[in-house]
Amino acid sequence: MHLTQELELFPDHRVTQMLFKEVKNAAGLRQSAVEGKINGALINPTMLVNPFQVLVAANKAVHLQKSGKMKTRSLYSEIIFNLSPNNNISEAFKRFGISDGDDSVMVVVVHNKDESELLADITAKVEGRQIPVEDVSSLSDSAKIKKLYKITPQEEKCGTLLDAVVCRMATKDVM
Amino acid sequence: MAQEKNMAVPQLLSNVELVKQGAEARVYRTEFLGKPTIVKERFPKRYRHPVLDQKLTHRRTVQEVRSILRCRRAGISAPVVYFVDYMSHCIFLEEVVGSLTVCDHIASTQQSESCQDQELEWLAQRVGQILAKMHDEDVIHGDLTTSNMLLRRGPEDPESNLVLIDFGLSYISALPEDKGVDLYVLEKAFLSTHPNTEALFEKLLKSYTASSKKSSAVIKKLDEVRLRGRKRSMVG
Ligand SMILES: Nc1ncnc2c1ncn2[C@@H]1O[C@H](COP(=O)(O)OP(=O)(O)O)[C@@H](O)[C@H]1O
Ligand SMILES: [Mg+2]
Repeated sequence: MHLTQELELFPDHRVTQMLFKEVKNAAGLRQSAVEGKINGALINPTMLVNPFQVLVAANKAVHLQKSGKMKTRSLYSEIIFNLSPNNNISEAFKRFGISDGDDSVMVVVVHNKDESELLADITAKVEGRQIPVEDVSSLSDSAKIKKLYKITPQEEKCGTLLDAVVCRMATKDVM
Repeated sequence: MAQEKNMAVPQLLSNVELVKQGAEARVYRTEFLGKPTIVKERFPKRYRHPVLDQKLTHRRTVQEVRSILRCRRAGISAPVVYFVDYMSHCIFLEEVVGSLTVCDHIASTQQSESCQDQELEWLAQRVGQILAKMHDEDVIHGDLTTSNMLLRRGPEDPESNLVLIDFGLSYISALPEDKGVDLYVLEKAFLSTHPNTEALFEKLLKSYTASSKKSSAVIKKLDEVRLRGRKRSMVG
C-alpha cells in the first residue's frame, strides 16, 4: 500500500509515502508533528495530483538540506514548502499541511535502507484507513489545484495537470 | 553549513550516459525519481573570467527554465522541468522519449524516395505556427535551429507533437526586430543544414505570417536584416 522510491541523487535516502482516509485524529497528528513527535511530513492529499509531485518536493528538500540552503527549519517542513507554487511559508503550510478537521492525510517519510519500524510507528499513530498511495488522485481537488498553481487551459493542452504542477514547483525560485 | 559542498549531482552525472557534448553544455540521459530524464549541465568555460563565467552560466540556466515555463503556459510544448541545481548549473528535464530532432527528420525524409514533399510541408507549417505563437508571447528563442526542435512520436494529438528545446539564449522582448533576427538565425541554419529547402522555408514563413497578427512588422524586419546581412557579406 505504501510507496517507496530511492532518490537517485542521494542513494542512501528513500522516500516512503503512506495514504490514509477516514482519519479521526487529524488535530492530534498535527499537534504531534508540531512537537516533532512524528517523524514525517503530514500533507493534505486534496492538493496532490500524483505521488510523483511529492517525490519532486522531497528530492529538492534533501538537496537543499545537503547544501545548507533550506528555507524552513526541518526537512519535513521543507517538503511541504516545496509543494507550494510561491515563497510564502505560512501559506504553504495552510494549503499543503493538514488542518484539524481533515479526514485524509498523506504521510511522507525520508529514511535510509530499512523503513519497517518507521512505517509501523506511523500506522500506529494514525487513526484511519490506509489506502494505496496511487489512489491519491481520487482525493485530489483539481479545481483548487489549478487555481492555486495558476494553471491555464492552454497549458493543459501540452501536458498533464501533473506536468504543469511539477514545472511550477521546480522553477519557483526564479519566477 | 552554507558553504558545504553538495556533490550529489556531479556524482550522479559521472555514472550516467552522455548524450551530447556541446560547446556550452553536456546533455545526459538518466532515470530520475523513476522517470526517463535528460540532464543538461552547463560547465565552466576556462577562457572566461570565473566570476563573469559563473554569472553567465547562471543566467542561461535561469533563462532556459523561465522560457520553458512561459512557453508551456501558453500551450507551446517544451519539456517538463523536474529539478534545477543552481550550484552545478544542471537542469533535469522530462525526456521526450522516442523523439527525433526536426533536423534528423528532414534529413531522413529527404533521403527516402517516396512522397516526401507533403510531409515536410506539413511540418514546416507546424513550425511556422508554433514560432508565431512563441513570438506572440514575446519569447525570443535566441538559437533557433532544426536541432532545437523535437518531434514527439506516438499516439498523442498532432497539436502537441512539436517540442521546443534549448532555451539557454532566450529572452523576453516585444520588439519586431528581435523576432525578425530570431527568424533570420533560423533561416540561415535551416538553409545551410538542409540543401534545396528554399521553397520549404518559404512555406514556414508563410505559415508564421498567417498565424500571428503581429507578423507583418516582424517579416519587414526580417527583410531588413537579410539585406544588412547581404551588404555585410559584400563588403567583407
Ligand atoms: N528533453 C529532451 N528529450 C529528448 N532529447 C533531448 C531533450 N533535450 C535535449 N535532447 C537531445 O539533446 C540534444 C542537445 O540538447 P540541447 O538542449 O539542444 O543542448 P545544446 O545546447 O548542447 O544544443 C538535442 O538536440 C536532442 O537531441
Ligand atoms: Mg541545441
